[in-house]
Amino acid sequence: MIRLAFLVAGVGALGYGCWLLVPQLTTTVPWLIAGPIVHDLVVAPLLAGVGLILTRARVGAAVRTALMVTATLALIAVPLVWRPSAAPDNPGLQNRDYPRDLALWLTALWAALAVSWLLRRRRRVGPPTAGTRNE
Amino acid sequence: MRAPAPHAASRLGLWLAVAFGVCFVTGLLSHAIQHPPAWFWWPSRPVQLYRVNQGLHVLSGVAAVPLLLAKLWTVYPRLFLRPPRAFGPLVRHAAERVATLVLVCSAFFELVTGLFNVAQSYPWRFFFPAAHYAVAWLAVGAIGVHVAIKLPVARSARPDPERRAFLRSAGVTAAAALVATAGVTVPWLRSVSPLAWRAGPGPQGVPVNRTAAAAHITVPDDWHLDVRWAGGSATMSLATLHALRQRTARLPIACVEGWSADADWTGVPLRDLLGAVGAPTDRPVRVSSLEKAGLYASSVLPRPHARDPLTLLALRLNGETLSPDHGFPCRIIAPNRPGVLQTKWVTLIEVLP
Repeated sequence: MIRLAFLVAGVGALGYGCWLLVPQLTTTVPWLIAGPIVHDLVVAPLLAGVGLILTRARVGAAVRTALMVTATLALIAVPLVWRPSAAPDNPGLQNRDYPRDLALWLTALWAALAVSWLLRRRRRVGPPTAGTRNE
Repeated sequence: MRAPAPHAASRLGLWLAVAFGVCFVTGLLSHAIQHPPAWFWWPSRPVQLYRVNQGLHVLSGVAAVPLLLAKLWTVYPRLFLRPPRAFGPLVRHAAERVATLVLVCSAFFELVTGLFNVAQSYPWRFFFPAAHYAVAWLAVGAIGVHVAIKLPVARSARPDPERRAFLRSAGVTAAAALVATAGVTVPWLRSVSPLAWRAGPGPQGVPVNRTAAAAHITVPDDWHLDVRWAGGSATMSLATLHALRQRTARLPIACVEGWSADADWTGVPLRDLLGAVGAPTDRPVRVSSLEKAGLYASSVLPRPHARDPLTLLALRLNGETLSPDHGFPCRIIAPNRPGVLQTKWVTLIEVLP
């Protein structure tokens, strides 16, 4: 019953959306089909490759999460950095330097990760005893 | 290839349904405020409601980006499933694939066009609001059909400990994306969020979307404000406006693109101005700009906003005379409205019948 309700409401919304979209079909269709094409043929195989390397290298969950955060933020930054045809210039607006701020943010993230890794490793190994290290 | 992960997929699906649901409802609301159907009514209070609505709209979209990618990652192997041979199952299989394709197309379209729009970058030939609105209906419709198909799978899925770390990573990534952008509308995050698309203070401490130059505004030396209503009209000079009792109100400019900023606006309450010339004060009001062309050269203040004592014909911003980019000589600033409807460079006020 609840599935039928979802189906009916879904088909209704789809129909309305199609009706709205018909007059703009020629300009929107390339942008509609680009998503799955780029994802299925480029993004997903790339992720699969990276995933394989991470698994082989036995990379932990923290590094995987940090990689996901890095990739996601880089993706969200694309429209801010790559502006093929922007709106008219807006000289009154001092926008920030996105690449620099994002780089700072990600550096802080990876530095925190490295510090926590070092601390954990140190605790596990124990403090190094004096004179045992070859330098 | 990894085994299918129905639990992780359904959990991510639930999160995505919440994100897209919030995005859809807030988007519909914003659309209705800008193109009100006859039955629609939108109040002038709470003052910050539209700001919260648009903040939720853009941030739920941002959070959906990593969630959508994570979801597709868990179900990617299903792309390579071999179709069944028998006719009945083959038809069902094909229908499911078509429904999923529509879902993925529309979901990517909404997120990508939304992100480019907030960055004011337009690498396409369609009209963004119309296309984004139409595809939003496709996306929710496709989500509805998808839920109808997948509900039994989601209900019978058992938690999979191997995928727990992945789910946690996806959640953390969505949270990080939120913090990285929320500064557009949350003031105390403004300096923290590296990807807040409106981070600069702008002229007089408030960002601007449409500058006076972009709108081709030249204020004539003999500028005056015309007020018209059924049965009368009046003309007011800038000096007359300054001579009327002024009021200062702290109101946000809340853009449809999600960014927002509070400011102190000083000017004549619209209600008082209409009362001073003897025009009716309980009717909707159309406000027109010096701007000749453009979609937002005029706006209609519905009754609740026209009557609200906080709705100002503002002459000053943060203690200074309005700068050209903020609408000199005067602009409308009303509570709980989209920024694009806060008409600048006002030259004509008409009380509608």
